[in-house]
Order: sequence, then structure tokens, then C-alpha cells
Amino acid sequence: MAKWGMVIDLDKCTGCQACTTACGMENNTLPGENWQDVLFYSEGEYPSGQMKWLPRPCMQCEDPSCVHVCPTRATYKDMNAGGIVFVDWNKCIGCKYCMIACPYGVRFYADEKPLVEPDLKNIFPGENGQLWSPPYQGPDEDWRRGIGVQPKGVVSKCTFCYHRVSKAPEGVADLDEDDPELVEFVPACVRTCPPKARYFGDLDNPQSNVNRLIGNKRGVRLRDETGNRPQVYYLGAGAGVPAFQRRERS
Amino acid sequence: MNVLKALMTRRRFLQVSGAAGVAGAGAAKLVGFTAATSTPKTAGAQARGQTRVTKNICHQCPARCGINVYTTNGRVHAIYGDPGNPIANGKLCPKGHLGTYFLYDPDRFKGPMRRTNPRKGRNEDPGWEPITWEQAYDEIAGRINELRKNGESHKFAHFYGRGWGPSDAGLYGAWGQLIGTPNSAIGHASMCAEGSKRAKAATDGNNSYNAYDYRNTNCMLIFGAGFLEAFRPYNKIMQDWGHMRSKSPKTRVTTIDVRMNPTMAASDRYLMTKPGTDGAIALAIAHLMLTEGLWEKDFVGDFRDGRNRFRAGQTVRAFEFEEKWTHGLVDWWNNELKDRTPSWAESVTGVPAREIIEVAREFGTTRPAMAIMERGPTAHTNGVYNGMAIHALNALSGCMFAKGGLFYQMGPSYGPGPANPADYMDDIANEMRGKYPRIDMARTERWPFTAHMMQESARNHNAGDPYKLKMAMFFSTNPIWTAPDAPEWEKMLSEIFVIDTSPFPGETAMFADIVLPESTYLERLQDSPTYPFEGWPMTALRVPAIDPIYDTTEFGNMMIEIGKRIEGPTGEYYRRIDSVENLLRHIARGFADNPGDNGVNDFESWKEKGVWYRKPYHWRQHRGVFYEWDGEGYNRVMSEEEVKEKLIKTASGKFEFKSSHLEGHADYIQRELGIPSARVGYPQWVEPKHTGGNRPLHFVTPKTPLTAEGRSGNIPHAIAIQQPIVGGNDRTYLEVHPQTARDRGIRDGDRVRIRSDLGTIEAYVRFVPQHRPDTIVLPYEHGHWAQGRWATGQGRDRTPGNPNEITANVSDPISGLACYYTGKVDLERA
Repeated sequence: MAKWGMVIDLDKCTGCQACTTACGMENNTLPGENWQDVLFYSEGEYPSGQMKWLPRPCMQCEDPSCVHVCPTRATYKDMNAGGIVFVDWNKCIGCKYCMIACPYGVRFYADEKPLVEPDLKNIFPGENGQLWSPPYQGPDEDWRRGIGVQPKGVVSKCTFCYHRVSKAPEGVADLDEDDPELVEFVPACVRTCPPKARYFGDLDNPQSNVNRLIGNKRGVRLRDETGNRPQVYYLGAGAGVPAFQRRERS
Repeated sequence: MNVLKALMTRRRFLQVSGAAGVAGAGAAKLVGFTAATSTPKTAGAQARGQTRVTKNICHQCPARCGINVYTTNGRVHAIYGDPGNPIANGKLCPKGHLGTYFLYDPDRFKGPMRRTNPRKGRNEDPGWEPITWEQAYDEIAGRINELRKNGESHKFAHFYGRGWGPSDAGLYGAWGQLIGTPNSAIGHASMCAEGSKRAKAATDGNNSYNAYDYRNTNCMLIFGAGFLEAFRPYNKIMQDWGHMRSKSPKTRVTTIDVRMNPTMAASDRYLMTKPGTDGAIALAIAHLMLTEGLWEKDFVGDFRDGRNRFRAGQTVRAFEFEEKWTHGLVDWWNNELKDRTPSWAESVTGVPAREIIEVAREFGTTRPAMAIMERGPTAHTNGVYNGMAIHALNALSGCMFAKGGLFYQMGPSYGPGPANPADYMDDIANEMRGKYPRIDMARTERWPFTAHMMQESARNHNAGDPYKLKMAMFFSTNPIWTAPDAPEWEKMLSEIFVIDTSPFPGETAMFADIVLPESTYLERLQDSPTYPFEGWPMTALRVPAIDPIYDTTEFGNMMIEIGKRIEGPTGEYYRRIDSVENLLRHIARGFADNPGDNGVNDFESWKEKGVWYRKPYHWRQHRGVFYEWDGEGYNRVMSEEEVKEKLIKTASGKFEFKSSHLEGHADYIQRELGIPSARVGYPQWVEPKHTGGNRPLHFVTPKTPLTAEGRSGNIPHAIAIQQPIVGGNDRTYLEVHPQTARDRGIRDGDRVRIRSDLGTIEAYVRFVPQHRPDTIVLPYEHGHWAQGRWATGQGRDRTPGNPNEITANVSDPISGLACYYTGKVDLERA
């Protein structure tokens, strides 16, 4: 079995958020429930100020904090699914321990006050146990792996688009969207990334392009000091999370 | 407590759903929804039903990215870039994916409607009553027939924004000819980016946006183009960006703009200039390229003895310099450029001279090197001169028509339409031809360089000069909100019979008498020749993914159906056109003799592949020699006459640093801009005339990557990520330098009033210390008061307000481009 990994080249990323919307529409998330988000930071002052950004999916950690704290074992790391961390919505009780434990802030609980009103959950009310039922929802659903529209009261997160990735041929080293044979199996964020700042492949295969990129371009993992060992690597300048800055209130 | 509640809910849920598990297939009930419902399923990893992929083109910016639309059981559920489309290449920008939501937007109009409330106003409920298409067409055609009988057909006007091709906006020409109105149609170009087109018309004779070869360029100067936010084709630009920034050698990029933005942040270097002064920086770069001998001698020419005599402040004798593909270099130097030193530019722009020198040396010593620009530098009263100064750098670097440079777009090989309008002219049509000017007075002595002046229309109507309209039809445009001094349009639209054709509610519809809702793009059949891209011809096709889910149709069909009801031969003409599909089948016959690279040779194969294109671009300039493609390579050397006819279309056939185009209306320019008529031809520094008098702050309203052809204000997913750079995830915020705010007692997050000569709007403030202290920034999206429930939700219709309400209706006299970014304002706590 592959160990799926993602590589994000920050020297190519333009911060456009196509990854965010592709993910949102592929996985039918609510506004603000950005399984794949882009965070923006700024520092310094005119005329020498800087702006930077960091695209942030779930890191699918090798030793995930969320799994350790989950009281119902709803969240789990599936070594038979490339090491992806899933939430089993049939077991999740929505306690949010995992959201607090996650060092990367990539878990979501969408039942509360919506970011954007009117609340889409009221406009497209949930049917058949779904939290909401958008008319454009995709055909794939697997609640044991947190795929599809979630029920009420559960935590949701990035699945590396397992409903796509799982259909890829056995043994493939990389899922490259430019390969017509593989494009339908590539995670939405990788598939659409216009500057091709994202790569997806097998971290257990030394021949894979993702491993070559990590090797050649000194790939780093975010917040490695936590010991979580993400399966997402970053390349290029600025691969780090700036310290939190409180909004100024003068 | 909450945990227990959730647990209870889960248990109860599991009991109810039982062994069958979860059936998540249900969808919300939509009135008028006709698509098949999906079948129940068990909780597994099964996909529901068969998935079909159809070809289409994104509608959310002008770029025309080909898209693959995924439909399963009659429901569209995904959009991805079409790998076979040369713009999209399988990719999309952030807007593209949201198209599925557009289709199912619960605020969509469901069918044709007639107004019952005779009063019009922002707070007047139109009192819509549903009518049939027959009733709507009959009423509209009846009114037009009446106008024609009374010799008033010129009082009917079409207004349009995004025209796509022959099957929609392409129908306007025949309409105007046959109905007998000069106002078919008033385009939005003067409220878009005409300034750059006119700058190019003035210098290289092409009144057009450029095509670009980004992938092969090694140095770029980006002047106020929103390159990584709103330039087009945004998607392809980002694909090329990924290439430029990782190829060898890496393309060096300098961004010149008036505010911190992602393009600046991603560049190697940025210069933050004062609004309206980009031209000064370009002139200083040109100055330094000449004094340091860094111009491209193969293209521009050289001193006869090879010794550089360009020295700051000193004139040069014309006979000493032999020009090749340019015209007027020494005149330009002597009359303008010799004094445009980097130190001078520093005094105008606030950008240090040493930084300008660094940029100029890098640009001058790297090839290929291109300078691009768009609305930033040109939406000012000096816009064309700013643009000319910038575009002149492309001549000095020799990148015109060169690999890694700029060129112009070729058109597709279409066949003729089903009928020729000239054969269907009746007496009215003949009599009305040329009798009245357009309502916007474009192409008259009032605006001699322009093609469209939409922003003048309401003002002219309200003044009755040249006349008053009686009837107007709007397609993909909403000037009542988007035009400068937008409230002028509320008066005009209150007085005339208005037809809106948007699929969605909007401000125009609020003032409409009849709404003919168009299908959304995923339901349309519609063609679309490419916007300027890489030069070689291309045209794409929208193929409906599903039947319209409401009672809607294509705009082209509306025009044809109304046309069929016009008395006399006009009706016959439209019966010959018959329908959008018939028209497209006719023009697609042009592919038979000219099959596309992907094998498209007729209508059916066009539908299947979604795009026809033929590479390569036919011309290339290499080291001062122009070559034409001979079928195998750029092998045939072109004569000066051929270059003039096909590529550099100026009077001299050369790239003109002394513009004969502008000199043709020298008196007009002298009158409007105060430039001595002998000097009007030079790219030169002209002080911008900011509106708002002595107010202290520049006010700019850029577009973000999520600005989707005016629709994002009502798209919840777009609103949530509209302006992430300052945390704008529920609205857009006014970006202000902290010192500017503190001087006025304004704290981060405060509600403020922005005041211009025209009035005030409100906004919430976010501190952005990276901006110029004299420039405040409000991204352009919200303030819509009739666009739908999300546009008005959470106060997004008022805070922020519509910036166009405080934007003076002032235009660059040459380009006619509305000066959206030239206003000066006051800022105060609300």
C-alpha cells in the first residue's frame, strides 16, 4: 500500500485559493468549512512591508494528535488507505477534542453559527440525515471515512479526496493530473492548482516524484517539533507558520 | 451538555436510519426543478449513477477557460478545467469551481416576468407577475414596431457587458442596421480597460489588448495589472507563473502598483507608486535605457557611428540616429525623455531613484523583457499617456512580436451566417442609417477616439442631449450599480422601458419592466472566440450540461425571437437566422476547410471537443527581422509593407514614439488636456487630474481573485474567502495604513465614512501597514442592494457601500476610460 503524501511548492503558489474552492465544491463543504484553506500573513510597514501566504490542507500526520485524543476512536489513521486520517461519522460525537489537539487547525465543526448568512443549511435543509443537502452534491458518500456531506454534530476534515485517490491503479508512484489516465484520481486541490504548486504521490516509493522533490528542494514539514510527522511537505521560501499576532486595538 | 446532546442525536439518528444506514442522496426541493432525483443507497463507498462530462466555457471572467462539467443523474456536481482546452489545460482559478453553485443559486429568476408596480425605486417592490415568453416577446416587439413607425427607432438601446461571440453580442450589428438604431449596442469597454487598447492604438496601431508569450520571457515589469488577481486569462497566467518562476533562467518580475497585493508579494521586487504616476516610472526607465545604451538596437536602430549620445538634459541631432522599426525616437528624447531622469521620477512618484535605476538596468539587460499594464495606470485622466510610456518600453526592449514578447490575437475561421442583413433593409432602416448619434456620443467629435462611452449614457439621457431614450435592453451589464456616479442611472431607468436579461436578481432588474431570464452558462449553447491570449486563433463552445432547470433560454434566442416579430423584412431576416443553434451550425461550416489542431471540423465535433484552435501564431520578429510562418517554420521574411498591413498598423508602419494617431486630433487633445498640439504625439508625463479636489486620500477599488463578473457578492462560498489578506471572510474591508487611521481617531475594525464630492459610503476598517499612507483600498465587490439574499445579508449592501456612488463620472479624454481609480476622499469615523 502506498503512503500518500502531498508536496506544496510555495515558490510557485500564488495564493489564489483555487485549491480551496475546488475542495469546497468537490467535498460539499459549507462556506468557511475550508478543509483546504490558504492563510495570509503580513509583516513590516510601507515601503518595506511583506505579504505571504500558506496553503493548508490536513497534514495526515504519521503520528496524529487528533487520533490520540479521540474518546470514541471515531478519528483514525488508516494504513490501508495510504495513511490518511479519517473521521468515522458513525462514531464521532462532536466533542471537538481533536480540533483542540490538532496543531494545524484543519478540523471543522460546521453545525454552529454560519460564517456567511443566510445559513445555507436552512436554504438547502438536510435530508436523510445530512447536515445540509446542497443540490449540487457529489455522488460519492462514505460516512465511515468522512466522505460526502456530514450528518449533524460531527467533525469534518480533509480526506486527501480518498473517494478519488482510492480508485487509482495499484502501485502508481505519483498521481499527476497531467496524465490523462490518472487525472480523475487526483485530489481536487492538486488537480486544479494552476501554477502546479502541488504534487501528490507515494512517500514509500523512493522513485516517486514527490520524494524527488522533497529530496532535491529540501522539503520541510510544518511544526516538526510536535513529532506529528506530517505527510504534507512544503518547498520554497517562507515555509513556516508565523507567530500568531493579536489584532491591534489602539 | 452539547456533547451529550450530539450523542443523543446520533443515537436517535442511527435508530431511525436503521440497518439501511445512510441515504444521503436527497436534495433540497427547488421550485421548478425538473432534473431526476437520485436513488437511495446504503452507506458504503458507492457512487450514485452514471456520470457524464460535457464541454463548456467558464463565465466568471473574460478569459474563456474550457471546462469539463460533471453531471450525474441530472445533477451537475463538479467543474474542472478541460485538459483539451489550451487556456485551461485541466486547471481552473478559484472562481471556476463555483459555477455549480451558480446553476443552483436559489435566488435565480425562474421565468419571464412583468412589472406591475409602475413606480420605480430602490425600495419599490416591482410586483413581478409571471408571463409567458410569447407575451414578453410580443410586448417588446410591439413597442419596437411602434418606435419604428414613429421614426424613433434610435430611442431603443442595447447595453451589454460580457459579449461572447456571434451567437449573442455578435447579433447587435444586424439589429442596429435593421431596426434602425445607432445604439445597438452600447458596450461596457469604456468602463473596463479601454485605456490600454488606446495606448497601443496610439503607438503600434493596434486598437486591441495584447496576446503575450509569458512562458518565454525572462523579465517582466507589471504596472497595475492585478496580474495574480484579476488579469486575464487569470488561470493561464498562473500556469505560466508556475513555469516562469521555476524555469531556467527564472523570470525576474518587478511589480509597480499603488497598494500591497499578492502580485507584489510574489514578485522579486516591488515599487509602490502614487496613483496615476506609473507613466513617470516608465519614462524614467526609458530615459535610463537610452542614456546607458540598453535599448534593443536590432529593433530600434542605433547612432550611425555606434556612439551613444543620449545624455540627460541634452538634445540629440535627429540625423545622427538611424531608426529601424520605430518612429520618432530622437524627437521623443529631445522633447520629453531627456529630462525624465530617475530623480525626477522620484519627485513625482515617491519611489527612490536608485530603485528605478535598478529596475531599468535589469529590464534593459535582460531579453526577452516585457512591460505589461492594465487598468491601474490607465484609469486616470492621463491614462493613455501613462499607457504609452509603459508600452514604449516594449519597443525599446525589442519584444514586439518577438519570442517572449507581445503580439495581437487572430480571429477564428468562421463561415458566414444564415443571412446577410443588408438584404433585409426596409425604408425605415435606410432612413435611420446615420441619422442620429449614439446616446453615449462615442465616435463623435465629443469623444473622437472612443468606440463606446456607456458611462455617458445616463447623463446624456437625463440631460436630453442628444435625445432621450424610450427603451433599453441589458445583457450581462449592470451600470446602475457599476457605472461611475451610478445613481444617475436610477433616474434614467425610472423614465424608460427596461428589459433585463440576467439569470439573477440585480439592480437593473429592480428597475426593469420585463425580465427575460437568461439560462446560466452551464445550460447554454453559445460560442466564444478567444479573448487575446497567445495569438493563434481559437474559439470555444458552451454545450448545455443539462436542460435549463427553470424557464430560461439563451440571450441570442431572445434577440432572434423579438426580431421575428418586427414588421417587414426584419422579421424575415430573423426567421432565416432561426435560432442560436442554427446560427452556430452555419458558422461552424468554416471549420471544414480549416480543421482545428484537435480535429474539430464541424458543429458536432466542436460540441464534442468544446474548442477549435489552430496553432501557431503566424508572425515573429527576431533580431529586427519580421518573419511569416510558411507552414513549417518562421521562414518567410516580410517586407515593410507587409509588416505595416499585418502587424504594426500605424501611419508610418513603425512603432511610433511620435503618434500620428494622436496628432490626428491634436486640437482636441490640446483643448481637453492642455498639451500643446505639437507635443501631443509623445509618450509623456501629464499630471493626473484627481477628482475630489483637495481631499487628502487616494481611493482605489481593485478586484480580487474571487470577483466573478459581478456575481460573487451573492455567492456564499466566494464571500467567505473574498479578501483573505485582511481576514475578509464575510465582506470586504477598507484597508488603511494605521497611521492614516490613527490621525483620524480610527481604530482597527471601526466603521468609517468615505467622503467624496458625490457623497459618502461606509465600510469597516482593517489596518494594513504595508500600504501607502496616502492611499486607501476597498476591494470591489459588495454594496449590492438588490443582488440577492447573501448580497444584502449581514449588512453587505451598506457596509461596505457601493464605491461607484462616490466615484465621479470623469473619463480620460483620449481613451474614454472611466477614471475609477483617480478619486480623492476624506475618511472619518462613522
